[in-house]
Amino acid sequence: MYRSLFALIASNLRMILRDRILHGVAGVALVMLFLVPAFSSFSMRQMQEVSVTLSLSTNSLMLLVVTLLLATSSIWRDVERRYTSSVLTLPISRVTYLLAKYCSIAIFIALCGIILLVITALVVKISTLQYPSDLPIAWGTIALAIAADVVKCYLLTGVAILLSAVSTSFFLPFFGSLAIYLAGSASQEVFEYVTGQFGKDLSEVSVTLIKGVYYLLPNFSAFNFKVHAVYVLPVTAEALLFPAVYFLTYTSILLGLAIWAFNRRELP
Amino acid sequence: MQLRLLFILFVAGYLFLLQPFSLYMQQRPVAVKLGYTPHPQILKISAADHNLVVAEAMLLNVLFYYGTLIENFQENIIVRPEYLNMYQTLQAASILDPYNQDNYYFAQAAFTWELGRVEEVNALLKRGAESRTWDPWLPFYIGFNYAYFLKDFQAAAPYMKMAAERSGNPLFTRLAARYFYESENTDLGLLFLNTMIDQAKDKTVKLTYTIRRDALVAIKRIESAAEKFKAEFGVMPETIAVLVAKGYLDEAPVDPYGGEFYFDEAGRTRTTSKLAAPDM
Repeated sequence: MYRSLFALIASNLRMILRDRILHGVAGVALVMLFLVPAFSSFSMRQMQEVSVTLSLSTNSLMLLVVTLLLATSSIWRDVERRYTSSVLTLPISRVTYLLAKYCSIAIFIALCGIILLVITALVVKISTLQYPSDLPIAWGTIALAIAADVVKCYLLTGVAILLSAVSTSFFLPFFGSLAIYLAGSASQEVFEYVTGQFGKDLSEVSVTLIKGVYYLLPNFSAFNFKVHAVYVLPVTAEALLFPAVYFLTYTSILLGLAIWAFNRRELP
Repeated sequence: MQLRLLFILFVAGYLFLLQPFSLYMQQRPVAVKLGYTPHPQILKISAADHNLVVAEAMLLNVLFYYGTLIENFQENIIVRPEYLNMYQTLQAASILDPYNQDNYYFAQAAFTWELGRVEEVNALLKRGAESRTWDPWLPFYIGFNYAYFLKDFQAAAPYMKMAAERSGNPLFTRLAARYFYESENTDLGLLFLNTMIDQAKDKTVKLTYTIRRDALVAIKRIESAAEKFKAEFGVMPETIAVLVAKGYLDEAPVDPYGGEFYFDEAGRTRTTSKLAAPDM
């Protein structure tokens, strides 16, 4: 199984590279190299903080775009192109095919994360040359913030693969994943708002419904370490452990559901 | 050929439009330029993990807008500024990113001296001081605003103390001690100075604190003697010399700053040095 899994991952990665998505990421990274120090100079007292903020936000956005492009067009497109028909005639199970798809996307996202980390380091260094901040540059936390963004994208990939496994077109995986991403990023704020003072004015049914949706949606805000990276705040062991375990369990459930759905799908 | 002509026509039209279009964009009404700031909670929810960038963008918007106001002012063009909108934008930005230093720095610079909106600025600064636990400047600004603009020394003293503790800057320590004294909290001022003397590593800094502490000790002695005098005679003594003459003080305490102690109209102990060395 492993040999066919690795062979499929390699084949998928070649396809992704052929699509020149890496060129796009490198292009944005280069633009970032010029624009971020320029924009950071508008800050009055915290050039370093602004440059880290802009870099991390650009990275997060880039990784999101890459994830959505790759993961939402994964399985349904292969089905449409009849690629699955030819691959699955080989001694390769549907489980192997789906896991290879997920792993190849995950490897590519990690590659993008490494490129963006290197560029971020350069950008921050350039920005701080002129006006060093009172705060030190937390290189470790910056790397952690980008790594957490990568993991967040892995979780989103799980969502997209699941939707892609049941869909026959582009619309459900793309807009479904985007909607779940937006809702999952905001759910923590909404939950805290509803369970606070504001919730007292709401009916019990509404509060229960919102809480239900909160527990059901993937919580993407757990993977946000940007404030820690920008303002050199300490990161606790809990802040690392809980998101890591949460990611593992939630993504496993998503992939399990995707495998279950894909195994039952009739392929042309 | 016709298509080419049409294309050239559109390019020419675009070039022709560029200047008036840019001029229109620059001269848009203020509210349109600064924009409407949605409720911070809605912004926080919709910004997802880009809340820091959204806060920075809002802040830059206010800074650029304020820049145009200054330019207009220099050219004697009087435009009524959208101060409320500016403040609301800064407030929303502080909720999205309570750590952003530029926000507080700008609010302090633009809203206190120019507008006298000290209480609003202090409310904003307090949020910042809670988040930026390492930054001595925010409690310093709060303390300064209370003391200088609002003459509320009692409220100023703990913030100046916080600034001194965060930075170890002797100026903050001196100011905090002075505010404690002005707010009739000499004991608290003494306690604070003793702590700072213990923590000071530099000899000169330690000496500076000690001089300030000695001054407060002298004031405390006079205050205690004056209270005893008042308890016995029912009135405040007119001079320090009276306290010495009646035996409440062995001798007139010396002001280490070189001044002379006296009682003001309200019966408070004052010194001609105003507790400041001639070079301070």
